[in-house]
Amino acid sequence: MSGSAVLPAAEVRAVPSAFDVAVLALARDLRLAFRKREQLIQPLAFFAIVTTLFPLAITPRLAQLREVAPGVLWVGALLASLLALEFLFRDDAQDGTLEQYALSGRSLTWLLFAKTAAHWLLTGVPLALVAPLAAGALGAPAASLPSIIAPVAVGTLALSLLGAIGAALTLGVKRSGVLLSLITLPLAVPILIFGARATELAIAGESFVAPLELLGAFAVLGLTLAPLAAAAAVRISLE
Amino acid sequence: MTAFFRMGGYAQYLWPAYGITFAVVILNIVWARRTLARARREARRRLAVRDEPVLHGEEV
Amino acid sequence: MTWTWFHRLGSPPHIYRLATRLTPWFAWPAALIIVAALYGGLVLAPPDYQQGDGFRMVYVHAPCAWMSLMVYTTLAVASAVGLIWRMKVAYAVAASCAPIGASFTAAALMTGMLFGRPMWGTYWAWDPQLTFELVLLFIYLGYMGLRSSFDDPQRADRASSMLAVVGFIDVPIIHFSTTWWNSLHQAPSVLRFGKPTIALPMLIPLLMMLLGFTLYFVAILLVRLRGEILRRERSASWLREAIVS
Repeated sequence: MSGSAVLPAAEVRAVPSAFDVAVLALARDLRLAFRKREQLIQPLAFFAIVTTLFPLAITPRLAQLREVAPGVLWVGALLASLLALEFLFRDDAQDGTLEQYALSGRSLTWLLFAKTAAHWLLTGVPLALVAPLAAGALGAPAASLPSIIAPVAVGTLALSLLGAIGAALTLGVKRSGVLLSLITLPLAVPILIFGARATELAIAGESFVAPLELLGAFAVLGLTLAPLAAAAAVRISLE
Repeated sequence: MTAFFRMGGYAQYLWPAYGITFAVVILNIVWARRTLARARREARRRLAVRDEPVLHGEEV
Repeated sequence: MTWTWFHRLGSPPHIYRLATRLTPWFAWPAALIIVAALYGGLVLAPPDYQQGDGFRMVYVHAPCAWMSLMVYTTLAVASAVGLIWRMKVAYAVAASCAPIGASFTAAALMTGMLFGRPMWGTYWAWDPQLTFELVLLFIYLGYMGLRSSFDDPQRADRASSMLAVVGFIDVPIIHFSTTWWNSLHQAPSVLRFGKPTIALPMLIPLLMMLLGFTLYFVAILLVRLRGEILRRERSASWLREAIVS
């Protein structure tokens, strides 16, 4: 806010732009998450447990596990990310924050975008950072591990955006967890396909630019449309 | 005629496929008619409920 | 340019009467065309040089697959119209579509499996077309699940319409991704038809089937639509009139 020097401070504070509000909301969500750490840790723990179940269910032999590693990683990441999505807007809807905001006449889009970004930063990015460890445990060669971060980061971003729509649509529904998965997962099929392919190529040490670009295109489509759709969905559930 | 029903050895796959499809076709007709009939019954009941208080009013 | 036709399109009594009057005009031609196409497909069309008489399954599999997509398109367009113009009748159309589409998607899956058995030697292969139909079935189920989880019918209408529109943007991407995924792994695929080389006596019954099923869909939709309109109409004296007639 470089222009604030000209205006009286009180006036500036009275009418923050939608973007400023979004930044504040993002900062608040991140601060809350670091204060209440279970929100940060639970998806990671879930992801770790799911990836541990697969070797126990299939085989301890690394050569065989290496073949299924991309699938295991992506199914685990998808489910872990969805787990946290159910509560994305729930608290703010229950204590009336969303309603107040919608009534204030400002666009909900930026606020929801900020909350979605917070969800990605708090679950997607940590998952992307942990995914190489899981891939290594599943037999991926050490040299390929750093390149696994990018596909998972982009894919979880796309999933957070897609899931934000689902979370907004199921706001008015009791016990929405299963329903949220039922409506989000079929739509997330392209993320899974492109992401798993990129990871497969990364583990094999080949170029994974093509699937990563497809994944990126999906994420860009989500960036442009998902906050708008989520805002419309929140208005529907508030009415 | 039997040659027609044998369908060059594909009978055991072909006829079930036709059977399933036309079962779904007929089921959809039945379902649609049943939902319409149910909606009509409900509408009739709603109208009856709405008319009742007026009748009571006239009695008193 | 007058917009009265558009306003009348949004008026439930008008649509109800129109639907009653139009239903036989779609139902009977549909029945005739489908019966003619059955004769053309099962009797007149020559056996395929590769698949023999087995290819005749295409005359039921393709219409089912066609219905699964066309009904979803109708559902999504009606949903968008409902959301944009707040048209009650459009929501009623969308609500009527879902069960029809879901049942034909399931039929497309089952006929696809029966088609696949003699071709692949197994009922289920992860063929891109079959996989896509399976995902489409999940999308229908999600739509119906979301719709039924609201008590308030208006909210159910608007929330499920939103999902239908989002799904409609995603469906072509899903189709592309499953095709792309399959091409990487080189799984078998015989369910690719519609090639321009297909012989005319084989093609004509197929096109007639698609037309017949489309007309059939409109007829079913009109009947269901009348039920939905009756259920949604709260007051209105025409309700009495509609039920008596």
